[in-house]
Amino acid sequence: MLKINYPKFELNNFEDLNFKIEEPKIKINVRGKNKDFYTKIGKILSIILPIEPNTSTSNGNLNALWLSPDEWMIYLNENIFDSLFNEISKLNLGSVTDVSDQWVCINIKGNKVFDLLSNGSPFDFREFKNNKNHVVQTLLNHIDVTIHHKELNEINLFVRRSFSEHLMLWLNDSARFI
Amino acid sequence: MFVINCPYCGERDQSEFNSGGEAHIIRPKQPTELSDDEWAEFLFMRKNIKGIQFERWNHTHGCRKWFNVVRDTTNDQIHAVYKMGEKPPKDY
Repeated sequence: MLKINYPKFELNNFEDLNFKIEEPKIKINVRGKNKDFYTKIGKILSIILPIEPNTSTSNGNLNALWLSPDEWMIYLNENIFDSLFNEISKLNLGSVTDVSDQWVCINIKGNKVFDLLSNGSPFDFREFKNNKNHVVQTLLNHIDVTIHHKELNEINLFVRRSFSEHLMLWLNDSARFI
Repeated sequence: MFVINCPYCGERDQSEFNSGGEAHIIRPKQPTELSDDEWAEFLFMRKNIKGIQFERWNHTHGCRKWFNVVRDTTNDQIHAVYKMGEKPPKDY
């Protein structure tokens, strides 16, 4: 990981809404299609990558998010990039990219999480908010985000680092009116 | 505004997608043997149908996959969605 300074946010906490920057966190993008790729990655991570669209699988502190039929994002606290890269990318079974510095993870907790998100997103959260471990890639305040519904009324929101300060300002501002 | 049923992610708002223009345009096998007019015909000329049109769309702000859509351009009603490589429905 690069020695980067994450944008400084003024983290206001509101009634029923709590923001926290969950960094540094390792994020790895994996892509692959063939059977050997699934077998190998399952052995390394001790986890089955989610095949069902818009879902995630979890193994303690490791989470695998479905991004598209042949693409997943794994996020966790320990660095396993080298073992994944050596066993998958170097053997041409798939591709493994360290995207830790590309995405910033914002944890949002509270009863009004989905009211806040609905304020700036075209996505219909009515069903999503009842389904734990679901994932959605959508727009929030015109910014690309990946939302992982970790626990009920608790999400991990991934946003590109260059947009993170702007989005955080919007979240803080928007939360005042919920 | 309308809702598109992405074949991979499910129903999403149109603002998550980008249109890629007319679908099923076949690239000439020997471009060097074409005249300038024939090449321009392939490259630039597109149908602008009032009615049912076959189009390519990309789920830009979602799974980033391309797929085909059968859309009525007069009322934005989507009649069918199918993946790249699949044959278009015969009903239209």
